Parts: sequence; C-alpha cells; structure tokens
Amino acid sequence: MAAEIVLETRSLTKIYRDFWGRQKVQALKALDLEVRRGEIFGLLGPNGSGKTTTIKLLLGLLFPTSGQALVLGRDATDVAKNERIGYLPEESYLYKFLNAEETLDFYGRLFDMPVAQRRQRIDSLIEMVGLGWAKRRQLKEYSKGMARRIGLAQALINDPEVILLDEPTTGLDPIGTREMKDLILKLRDEGKTILMCSHLLADVQDVCDRIAILHQGELKELGRVDQLLTVADVTQIRARGLSDACRKEIEDVIRKHQAQLLAMENPTTTLEELFLEIVRDSEARPGRRVTVAPQPESGQPESVRQEKS
Amino acid sequence: MVVEQETLDFWQWLLGESSLVDGALIWFVIVAVSLALGALVVGYLLAAVRHGPMKAGDLTYQAVVTGLRDVRGISARRVLALSRLAVKESFRRRVLVAVIVYLVVLLFAGWFLGTDYTEPAKLYLSFVLTATTYLVVMMALFLSAFSLPADIGNKTIHTVVTKPVRAAEIVLGRILGFLFVGTMLLTVMGVASYVFVVQTLSHSHAIDGRTLQTEEEPDGSLGLRGRTTTTADHWHDVMIGEQGAGRALVAQQHDHEIAASTDGDQVRYTVGRPRGMLVARVPVYGKLRFKDRQGNEKPKGISVGNEWTYRSYIEGGTEAAAVWTFDAIDEARYPDGLPIEMTLSVFRTYKGKIADEETGQAVGILGGIVLRHPDDPERIRSATQFFRAREYAIDSQFIPRNLQDPQGNPLDLFDDLVQDGRLIIEIQCLDRSQYFGMAQADVYLRARDGSFLLNYVKGYVSIWMQMALVIGAAVACSTFLSGPVAMMFTLSVIVLGFFKEFILGVATGTVYGGGPIESLIRLVSQMNVTLQFEEGWGTTITRTVDAVVLLAMRAVTAVIPDFRGMSSVRYVSDGFNIPIDLLSQDLLATAAYLAGMFVIGFFFFRTREVAR
Repeated sequence: MAAEIVLETRSLTKIYRDFWGRQKVQALKALDLEVRRGEIFGLLGPNGSGKTTTIKLLLGLLFPTSGQALVLGRDATDVAKNERIGYLPEESYLYKFLNAEETLDFYGRLFDMPVAQRRQRIDSLIEMVGLGWAKRRQLKEYSKGMARRIGLAQALINDPEVILLDEPTTGLDPIGTREMKDLILKLRDEGKTILMCSHLLADVQDVCDRIAILHQGELKELGRVDQLLTVADVTQIRARGLSDACRKEIEDVIRKHQAQLLAMENPTTTLEELFLEIVRDSEARPGRRVTVAPQPESGQPESVRQEKS
Repeated sequence: MVVEQETLDFWQWLLGESSLVDGALIWFVIVAVSLALGALVVGYLLAAVRHGPMKAGDLTYQAVVTGLRDVRGISARRVLALSRLAVKESFRRRVLVAVIVYLVVLLFAGWFLGTDYTEPAKLYLSFVLTATTYLVVMMALFLSAFSLPADIGNKTIHTVVTKPVRAAEIVLGRILGFLFVGTMLLTVMGVASYVFVVQTLSHSHAIDGRTLQTEEEPDGSLGLRGRTTTTADHWHDVMIGEQGAGRALVAQQHDHEIAASTDGDQVRYTVGRPRGMLVARVPVYGKLRFKDRQGNEKPKGISVGNEWTYRSYIEGGTEAAAVWTFDAIDEARYPDGLPIEMTLSVFRTYKGKIADEETGQAVGILGGIVLRHPDDPERIRSATQFFRAREYAIDSQFIPRNLQDPQGNPLDLFDDLVQDGRLIIEIQCLDRSQYFGMAQADVYLRARDGSFLLNYVKGYVSIWMQMALVIGAAVACSTFLSGPVAMMFTLSVIVLGFFKEFILGVATGTVYGGGPIESLIRLVSQMNVTLQFEEGWGTTITRTVDAVVLLAMRAVTAVIPDFRGMSSVRYVSDGFNIPIDLLSQDLLATAAYLAGMFVIGFFFFRTREVAR
C-alpha cells in the first residue's frame, strides 16, 4: 500500500503581478507533486526556477493563482495545518533582539504550549542544536551558522510531522552541514516528512529519497535519487588490494567481452571527508598543530603534513 | 470654560434622547453594517475581475466564513506572546527616549514658563498635558506604523505566520502590546508632570508687617489689613480678623489661609499653602434664554459682529437680560447659599473706566444679579446684587440664603424663591451702551469641587484614548501599507480628525466657499466667497462634481474619530471636572473605533500575501 500523501500540489500555478494586475512573471506552471509520509523530498533547480515559490505556496505565505496546494489534506491557506508543520526559511528570519531561549519561548507560545512542556522542549532543542553556551545571547550576536541552528530549533519547537526546509545548509561550515544532514536523516528516521530545496546538489544527493527538478517554473524531472542517478550502461567495481597483474587481467576480461574500459584508478576522497577527518582528529588530540608544508619545486601538489608540537 | 456642546447623560447619548434613532449605538450599527457590506461588495468586485463571478462569490464567502472562524479561534496565550514581542520591540526601538525627552523638557520648562501669568495653573497644566499628548501620539504613531511593515520587510513575519497564528492575533497582539507600552509611558509621564506642576506652583508668603493697619470690620470688630511679601511674581492683600485667623485674598487664581500663634506677647502669623489653584470644579449648569431691550423673551441675545457665535450679547442700561433657570436646587445641597461663578465676555462701545486711578485695580463693567421665582418671576424677586464683571477671568459671586426684595422685605432663598428645586437667575448689564456676552456654560453653580488628582488622571485617560486611536489606526494601516505610507495615512486621519468640524462644515455647506472645485476656481480667479457664480454649464458641472465630492467628504469625515473633541485636557487646565458621562462616552467610542480598526486590519492582513 502506498504511503500517505502529506504534501500535494495540483496544477499549482503562480503568476506574480504588478500593482495594476499586469502579469510580471509566471513563477510556477501547473506543478503536480506528491510528497509521501516519511520521505525526504528535494526540490532542485536554478535561481528563479520556482522552488521557494512552491514552498511559500505550501506554507500559505503566497496564494496560488490557480491550482491547489494541500498540506496534510488541508488547504495551504488553512492556519490549522501549521499546528503540524515546521518551517526553516532560507535566511534565519528571527527577531534579533531576542536571545535563543526567548526566541523558542516565543514560538512555543504561538503553539499554545503549556509552560512546562515549553520549558522542556526549549531545553532539549537548544541542546540538540548545540547552542547551550550561547542561549542567553541576543541573536544579533550570532554567526550565520548559529542563526541557522536556532532557526532549525524554532522549526522543530512543535515536534512537527512535516518539515519544510529552504536551503537548510546555506551558510553552514562543513561540520555544520554534515550535522544538518545527519539531523535531517535522523528526523526522517523518526518518521517525519521533509521537503527541502537547495542549490547544493551534493547535499540533496546525500539526504534526499526523491527529488523534483524545476526549471522556469516547470517540473522537469521527478523520481528516486538512486534511480535518477544510476547510469544504466556503466558498471562500477570497487575493490581493495588488487595487484597490477589482477588489474591487467580485469582489463583483458573487459576487452574480451567487447566492453569499453572507462577508468581504472584509485578513488579520491571528497574534500568534505578530508576536512571532517582533520577537524575530528584535531578535536580528539587538541595538542597537535597543523602546518602547511613548503611547496616543492617540482610543482607537485601541495600536501598536508602534521607534526607534533 | 467654553462648552460648545452640552454633555449628554451617557445612556441618553448611547440610546438616544427620545428614540433610538438619536442614539450613538444605532449609528454605530448603521455605520458598521454599511462598511461591512461596502467591503464585501468591493471585495467581490475585485475578485470577480480577476477570477470571474462564480469563483469570486466562493472566495468572498470563504473569506467571511474563515475570517469569522479565525476570530473565534483567537488564543489568549498567542495574543499575549505577540503583545510581549511588541513590547520588547518597542524597548529595543528606544521608546524610553521619549520619556527622557519628556523629563528633560520638564526640567527646563521652568525657564520659559513664568509664574507671573494671571492663571499660572492653567499655563502649567495646559503645557504639560499638551506636551504629553504630542509626545505620546507621535511615539505611538512611529511605533505602530512601522512595526508590521518592518516584520514583513525583513521577513521575520514568515516564521510567525507559519505557526498556527491567526491574522486576528497578529493585529490584536500588536495593538495590545503598543497600548501597554503607551500606558506605561503615560503613567510615568503623568506622575512626573503631576509632581512638576504641584511642586512648581507650590509656594508661600510672609506677611509684610510694614503694611499692616488696623481697620474696623463691618461687624464692629477690629481687624488687620495689609499685604504679603512677593513670592512667585505676586503678592496678596491680607485680611486678618480679631481672633488672628485670616486670609491672603485671591490673586493669580488662589488664596492662602493665615494662621496665628502667640509666643509670649508676640503674635506670629503663618501663611499656608496656596488654595484653589489646582481645582476640579463640578459645575451645575442651567438653561439659558434671553430678554431683549424691551424685556421680551428671546432664544438668543444680539450679535456684536463677532464671527464666533458661541456667545450672544445683552445691551447695558436696558431691560435686556440673560436668564438662567437652574434645577435641583435644595437646601441640603447648598445649605449656606448659592456659590455662582461667571465668565462674562464684555463688549465695550466706549472705553469707559478701565482701572482705578488710585489703586490701579481693574474696574469692570457694572452688572446686576436678580433672583426670581420660576412661577411668578415678576412679583417674587430679589433686590439686585451688584458686581463688576471681570473680563478674561472667572468671577465668583455668592448668593446668601437671606435676601431682600426690592422693597427691603426679607426673603429666604429656599422658602420664597426656589420652587420645586427650580430658580431663575437673571443677569443684566447696568452700564449704558456697554454689553455683556454670555453662553449657557458661562454661569453655573459651583456645588462642590471634585478631586484634582482624579481629574488629572481623567485628563490622562483622555490622552490615552487619543493614543489608542492612533495605535489602532496605524496598526490597521500598516497591514496593507508600507511603514512610511502607513504613517502618513494615519497622520492624515489624525489631521482630518482634528479638523473634523471644519470639514463637516465644508461638506454640509455651512462654511462659505463651496466644494473643492468651486474653492479652487475662487482661489485661482481671486473671487470673493460671497459672490455668486454666473449660471451656465460650467457652473452646473462644477456644482455636480462638488456635490459628489462633498458627499464623499461627508461620509469619510463622519466616521473619522473626533480627535479634538476627545481631548479633555482643557477641562483639567481650566480647572473643571471632566464629567464622567463625557469620559465614558469617549471611552466607549474609542473602544468602538478600536474594534473597527481591528476588523479592518484583520481582513486586510488576512487577504494579504505576506511573502510578496
């Protein structure tokens, strides 16, 4: 049985008009989407493709020109749906004169949460986003990464079923990005449904179950990430400890079957992985010092050498 | 004090004097229903243009139904949270600067407010109350007009409206939050200004011993006459009785009590604190009619050519008189007699005697007061009690209980002249060819005084109401306009409110000059307002367009709050008690306006795309 549909757009169209009602731009053209319970759904597309417009229409921040946006079976303009959703905007649009606790307390009150429940929820969220040390500082003193974290905390204040994340990793450093992605996956594992849009394709690829690619307001591609990214006519074999002879043998086998060898090389790790590994290592052994080795004359690539201080 | 419109009893005002049609309630309902229907029609038409008639009908119905559901779902906790946010935002926006500015103004006010003014209390009170009004109204305007647009501009509203918050709660939370901030500020300002006024006006004198002379009192006892020393730019004449107690006579609106104490063979006189400076008179008004120079009854006196027709005049040395009929006069209320206060305007056709040559004291025009039986006014009347009219000041007279008729026979005020609580008091000008000008509120019985402090608080309540209206209007405007535009719009509403009477005069044709087109033509062609236009198609078009515009002006002005009328500051500064009927009427009207502004703001905000 198919999973319950929690977000749905039916021929959703949005035309922006000027003051006189003249059409300025058609931001979204008859978009049909369905997001099912428990999945992470990614909206991809270049600037102006309609990703944020779609999210704003689903949140009721904009009204559709035609078509329908449904959230948990209710019309997107129905305020009652907000009881069960959380929203992290593109920038952390929060009140800068409040501190982290006051911010979460304010949003908690908007959910009509009783004091005890609010108190408990605020403490756990501040701990979750790692801002315990800065919870009494006004948000105007926060870095962009910290603002994103508290933004995420406010989005989760009501323990929502559906979470809409607009560019969730923007402004975060690699550690923050990884934590955010881990958190998104954790939320999915808790049974929550997540709709996110992002420019950072690697992030989308890492976390999303399904994606939709929009361009100029139109849906261009929709499906499971693994299916969409699978290159059907290319086979990848990963192995450890192959000898040169074994490599040669494999090449011969490929040739024998009239296939084309595209590459046989040692893989490189990602810069993200390398960075995270160094930082983790540094945190584990704080006494160590990281220095940059002098650039060799031969023009070989720069390497990183670690020395004991 | 000028009272151009009589204060009605609260229930009469609300429900009408004779029928509901005269009452404020029915008009409120009519205006509210008309506006609601108008908004529905306009909303439907706009939707019909964009979506077609069927869809527009559905959208209009949905807007009303979900709107009502939203109002029903208002949560006190959410409203309180949004109010607290508005309060925090206000403090972040340095609202306390307004208080500091106010305190600085008070600190330096003494430099430019002299105490040599004839009515210093009036000067000080009107200054502090007016300063408070302007400062608080401006602060309210800036705070509330920019708040919501700023939230929309920097998109913080996105994280609010995506919570289960109703548009009604956002508008209501803001109004209540700013009201709270304003109330706090007004409280601080009220306490500070009260202390300032009381402390600045408080003074004492010593008796100048060199001026004391013994004089025989009317009852044969020996008393002392003299002067006080000069303090706060004035001195008082002093009257001390044989027993030592006495009074520093009225100067600059107040007097002082003098107490005597003996120290061996020395007598020490102590002048007390000023009395009667900060008062809240509770006037009992009568009904005024006039008699012309032949003694015939008329509803109005004569005009002396003054454009302001509030007062009408009686000619001196003739039968002309101003006749007041007072009700509810009884012995229990006025056991010793009737304390009368008068503010008479004097119109001199020749200069006459202005000041006494010896003392330099002002000499007023001679007037007379006659008391008459209401049922037999010609036969049962008192002898004339003479007075000199004090111009530009309140003149106090006392009608004792024991009177005489013109033949010298004794009359008892209550037994012989008052009938069923009614009494006629007639005032005449006795100097030939001079005139007294009077309006109904110019002569009243000063039955008792209310608490000045309470009256001061009432004055602040009236400022609070003006502030509340500004907040309501600014928040409502800010739901669909940008900050600066919302501020200008609200400012226009305030200006229109202040000149409501004049604009209504233009709209109803009681002010000369015609409608906007006609006045423009007169302005450009430098045509006198009394000249008639030549008949022709041009005049017809002008009049037709003007008629439509004037109708619209009339409709708009009729629903705009009367800011000037709502200010009761002049009551406090003139030393009159603000009638509780007036205050409750204004409070109810303010509440009604706030409710209206809330609904307007709510619907505008609800139908707005906040992410545009």
